[in-house]
Amino acid sequence: MDFEFTEDQVMLRGLVREFLSEQCPVSHVRAMMEHPRGYDRDLYRRLVQLGMLPFPEKYGGAGLGMIEQAIVLEEMGRIPYPGPYFATVILAGGAIMASGDSRAQMRYLPAICNGDLAMSLAFLEDGISWGPDAIGLSMAREGESYRLDGIKRFVPFGQSVDDILVVARSGGGRGAEGISLVAVPADAPGLVIEPEVMMDLTSKTATLRFEGVRVPAENRVGPEGGAWPAVEVALRQAAVGASAEMLGAARKALEMSVDYAKVRKQFGQYIGQFQAIKHKLAEMLELVENAHAAVYYAAWALDAGAPDAALAASVAKSTVNVAARRVCGDAIQVHGGIGFTWEYDLHLYFKRAKHLEPLYGDTEYHRERVLQEALAGRVAGSA
Amino acid sequence: MDLSYTLEDQAFRQWVRAWLAENVPRHKLTTMEEKKAWHRKLYDAGFIGMGLPREYGGRDARPMEQAIVGEEMVRAKAPPPLNGLGIAIVIPTLIHHGTEQQKRRFIHKLLTAEELWCQLYSEPNAGSDLASLQCRADLDGDEFVINGQKIWTSGAHEADWGLLLARTDRSAPKHQGISCILVDMHTPGIEVRTLKQISGSEEFCEVFFTDVRVPRENLVGELNGGWRIAQTTLSYERGGNTLSRYARLLQQVTRLLDVCRVLQRDGRPAIEDPVVRQKLGQIYAEMEVLRYASLRILSRLERGLRPGPESSLAKLHYSELDKRVQELILDILGPYGQQVGGIPDELALEPGAAYGEAGSWMYAFLWSRAGTIYAGSSEIQKNIIGERVLGLPKEVRADRVAAQVAGAASGDGAD
Repeated sequence: MDFEFTEDQVMLRGLVREFLSEQCPVSHVRAMMEHPRGYDRDLYRRLVQLGMLPFPEKYGGAGLGMIEQAIVLEEMGRIPYPGPYFATVILAGGAIMASGDSRAQMRYLPAICNGDLAMSLAFLEDGISWGPDAIGLSMAREGESYRLDGIKRFVPFGQSVDDILVVARSGGGRGAEGISLVAVPADAPGLVIEPEVMMDLTSKTATLRFEGVRVPAENRVGPEGGAWPAVEVALRQAAVGASAEMLGAARKALEMSVDYAKVRKQFGQYIGQFQAIKHKLAEMLELVENAHAAVYYAAWALDAGAPDAALAASVAKSTVNVAARRVCGDAIQVHGGIGFTWEYDLHLYFKRAKHLEPLYGDTEYHRERVLQEALAGRVAGSA
Repeated sequence: MDLSYTLEDQAFRQWVRAWLAENVPRHKLTTMEEKKAWHRKLYDAGFIGMGLPREYGGRDARPMEQAIVGEEMVRAKAPPPLNGLGIAIVIPTLIHHGTEQQKRRFIHKLLTAEELWCQLYSEPNAGSDLASLQCRADLDGDEFVINGQKIWTSGAHEADWGLLLARTDRSAPKHQGISCILVDMHTPGIEVRTLKQISGSEEFCEVFFTDVRVPRENLVGELNGGWRIAQTTLSYERGGNTLSRYARLLQQVTRLLDVCRVLQRDGRPAIEDPVVRQKLGQIYAEMEVLRYASLRILSRLERGLRPGPESSLAKLHYSELDKRVQELILDILGPYGQQVGGIPDELALEPGAAYGEAGSWMYAFLWSRAGTIYAGSSEIQKNIIGERVLGLPKEVRADRVAAQVAGAASGDGAD
């Protein structure tokens, strides 16, 4: 039983923190907010090439686990890093790995690992549910190609990645039956990409309209009609990964608040001397530390294939959703007026955490999942 | 980072589980004689004070082994041992600050529960501000003469000995005039009255001292050095074994899930109601986070790191969590959550529980209100976290300002 990071994990955290603080200062983050692509391609390539990807070494990855991805994403939440790392590595790459389709893995993962290929996963449609029932985009076989018709919304960096992995329905099944994955190049004829403008300008998203898009049959990833298990794995990793990123944003907001409470004076004393502020900061620390425990327990459970991995992932997302909202919100309150200005950086963390809150399952979705797992007895074994 | 139990820990857990299955008493222990016999059995099995060094009667057990025993005892519904506070607080105090003679005289009998202990700290006007205590111990030759009152003393009515904080120098600043003294509770002049709590039970007491004479050799550490001793021992109290708290909560929640399959709400079992399901999911998630946080603390202890001010975070977490969870449970159960007498067996936490006794939803709910008050209230914990973990500047305190003003005034007078 050891909950502390290994030396390698501490080194990885240091490597990513140093890289991002040098290469991705807040001036860059703000520049990307105004940029239509939303990220710097060269910076993205160098970031990916740091050697921290979860994919097997034969594809050019470092073979690292979810704990390491959580460490990397927590650091990204502290910036907050603008770019398609999460979309490419956790979402699309995660689904490709989980599909078990070695041909697709050989085709996409090496290009992801050297930074040449940025991808995303298109899941949500008009509704906002995270189960297979919500997938309606149709995928029909026509000779040696598939024809895609339908709509996808809130596709992370959908306007600025190379390929989009689309969760589609083929053969007209219901629920998990008939879910397929297919990779679509962003320049495919019939694909209309409409950038969305979201509250968090550092996280670009797009609406994708598929109007008779045709892609070669070899673009399918995993079995036709049987891709739901891979999507589910990717979404579970995404829930934990998003939790890690929110944890990073929350911890950064807490650190800023503590620093501020030590220098800001009102009524002739530092505001951190007042119990009204001191107690709020203590509560924020409690929330952040519990979020840390939840994120890294879940990451470990996924890596270890623990019986309670799904339970832990949902505990993490539902816990961190609530914690990050409180911590980032209270950080603005502790700062007072300056925390409400565009110029001050606090709103970047507040908005990143908020952006991720409804994605990959909101609090209510994951509390329901927690109960289902508990009732099914898929809980931790004590021995 | 590896959160799996070692093979050694798994084997130890199996051994503890088997021992408990064979030895846990099948009927409820009622008399003190029965409780002491059960305690002695636990002691002989090596489960009491097991983290203590061997020279003091422990077995140098690792924190994980202690946590496993705590968790398995709850799982097996084993009656708790006696002298919990004594083992957690009095023994470390004696080990760190006591004389050789005091260690030899008291530790073994405390561990075996031949002698029961209480902790005489709080007073009617000294709760969170413990250092303002007024109970006096005046030196008269080779004896202390003790006068004053203590309150919220757990188990004083059954105790043979008490660990007392008393004022030994009334002219010194309040933190510097306190001493730590061992008191024989059978000494003439001590009167103990039990206090009935909102739970209907009577664990706490008021203790009155009138000219109680205690030999000077019962002083622990230096005269007027009691505050520093209390500071170190209070953090033992806050260290806590949160894994056994998790185990207790798990028992309650497991039962709650069963009850929700039976309890009807809007023409269907409560477990099918989406609003109830949200609350159950929240309860379960909160409970799991308590387990993860406990494992994190345990892993730090296993690495030999002492629980410092961070133990305040653990105390704040589980006590506030307990209140949230107990409220949610009562939300779900409606009036049944408040019922003791006449509650249908299939809806009860434990059938047959009486008012003022453990085993009802209501009793657990009421006790959750105590957790954020005793052993340092949530407000005190937040001060500790704010100042000693986050490094925030200390608040302006009226008692310190008064001392400063008084000092300045007398300085002016001398001029």
